[in-house]
Amino acid sequence: MRENRFEEVEHTADIAIRVWGADLAELFANAAYGMACQLTEVEDVELGTTEQIDLRAPDVEMLLVNWLSELLYLGEREDVAFVDFDLSEVTPHTLQAVVRGGPISEHRVHIKAVTFSQLNIVKTDQGYETIVVFDV
Amino acid sequence: MANKRDFQRLDEYTWELPKGHRDDMRVPVRLYADSELFDAAFGDRTVEQLINTSTLPGIVKYAMALPDMHQGYGFPIGGVAAIDASSGVISPGGVGYDINCGVRLLASNLDWEEVEPFRDDLMSALYQSCPSGLGGDGRVRVNKRELDQLLSDGASWALKQGLARQEDVEHTEERGRLPGADPSKVGQRAKERGLSQVGSLGSGNHFLELDVVTSVYDADAADAFGLREGQIVVQIHCGSRGFGHQVCDDYVKNLQSAVNKYNINLPNRQLVCAPIESPEGQAYYGAMACAVNYAFVNRQVLAMGAREAFERVLAGKVRDFDLRQIYDVAHNIAKFEEHQVNGKSTRLCIHRKGATRCFPPDHEAVPADYRDVGQPVLVPGSMGTASYVLVGQQKAMELTFGSTCHGAGRTMSRTSARKKVWGHDLRDELEASGIAVRASSMKGLAEEAPLAYKDVSRVVETVHGMGIANKVARLEPLGVMKG
Repeated sequence: MRENRFEEVEHTADIAIRVWGADLAELFANAAYGMACQLTEVEDVELGTTEQIDLRAPDVEMLLVNWLSELLYLGEREDVAFVDFDLSEVTPHTLQAVVRGGPISEHRVHIKAVTFSQLNIVKTDQGYETIVVFDV
Repeated sequence: MANKRDFQRLDEYTWELPKGHRDDMRVPVRLYADSELFDAAFGDRTVEQLINTSTLPGIVKYAMALPDMHQGYGFPIGGVAAIDASSGVISPGGVGYDINCGVRLLASNLDWEEVEPFRDDLMSALYQSCPSGLGGDGRVRVNKRELDQLLSDGASWALKQGLARQEDVEHTEERGRLPGADPSKVGQRAKERGLSQVGSLGSGNHFLELDVVTSVYDADAADAFGLREGQIVVQIHCGSRGFGHQVCDDYVKNLQSAVNKYNINLPNRQLVCAPIESPEGQAYYGAMACAVNYAFVNRQVLAMGAREAFERVLAGKVRDFDLRQIYDVAHNIAKFEEHQVNGKSTRLCIHRKGATRCFPPDHEAVPADYRDVGQPVLVPGSMGTASYVLVGQQKAMELTFGSTCHGAGRTMSRTSARKKVWGHDLRDELEASGIAVRASSMKGLAEEAPLAYKDVSRVVETVHGMGIANKVARLEPLGVMKG
């Protein structure tokens, strides 16, 4: 079992993370956490905002992109960062989650979008793993 | 993976990978670079991404990258792909998320000596008049109906609202309005994000700079543009903000199903595309053109903010505080242009991702008062270093579909830059070298440190040496404002 939930990967212009999880729910939660860590200092975020997210997609990669994009969109609209993720159901095509977050006191970077670049969810001995590249 | 030995050097600046290198390539790949910049291209995934680009249906001649190339997502940055407009595809990945990110140059009639006593006041006034940073609202708020008008009409809308002068419009690529914009093809989220951000700089590598012209290389072109040594100018670098990001995001997802529907084989999903003439391709073009127009208006409104700041600080203190627009160029765009292919005039969809149009003298798209010399090209350097004004040359029509470089090009990741540089130290260094700094985030400042970029002079010498865009003037910063 790896200690961290994600690691940063070098990318010339944008931000990339490698993320893993024992199952799809953990992979998706860790990807969202890794993204939040790019946006702000997650330890400083006081939970106040709760949102329910319900998504469908034709395949699991698109589901992951939609999930992270949804968090970005809701976060930007409310000026909050989501740092706590309760994924009650994740299949390769559907997702249901309750997410919690709070105001961002200091912005780190602005993520414009979640890309499909290098995105490839693979099965490993420990579960699932992929790289996610963010356009910043 | 291609390596350096797979490339043939055709001349000093041209390196070609034959199309047989990979089975799915439709055309050869070309890198335009001197030997050092060529070597640098193999430090990341630039070449692989360009090979992927060469597989797009309808691509003609070759997939090419200019000397400021670096890794992007899907297409590389600094990439140009010309695609047959009747049989080919259009790709949101070939434009990028910041649709019509670009540069505007405004010139004053003042010399540095006249402005020097007011430099700090001017930078503070610019910081107030030109909103920057994350999520910040712009100078203008529009309602839904006004937004649709703005998206359809671009700079003409700004002119009607009293937010532009006629000569600003004349001195903007496409006169600030890309035809074919269709607001009905834009999603609700993009429109929602667009309402509040008109006239805002944003963050990341976007900036507003107060510069002085330190060298003039081409007296005739400089004279036509109204540039001279010692003159104070303002550069504005930004794009279509959250509106454009959302348009790209929506269509990267929407077009995934079109790839299957039209049986297009892609080596990378970020290259997602649709036939230009299909309903899906037309929808993307209509929405992308809206974002192009949004960005033209955004820079226009910021230009008015810069004029307001100059007036507030300098009125009554100097002889003339006006700012005249020299030009505005896009560097993330797809547009229809006529070019010669195999001796025939052909309508092409030119994708420029981190590349600038550079049309030559006598081209009808060049403003009448510049037509004898060619189109101005604005090439910003990294923060604290020099920027250049170039002018388009006929050779660009032969080699690069009328395109040239857009900037210095990154060589180092943001994470590495942050590890190597402290924002506060960088600000102190810039201030010590005589550059006033206004920044909303010190981490953001560190990520844009000059050491994370290529040497812009080397990039510019390459395109000058190739003969596609000639050097006109060099600008050096006196004040930098970062989002």
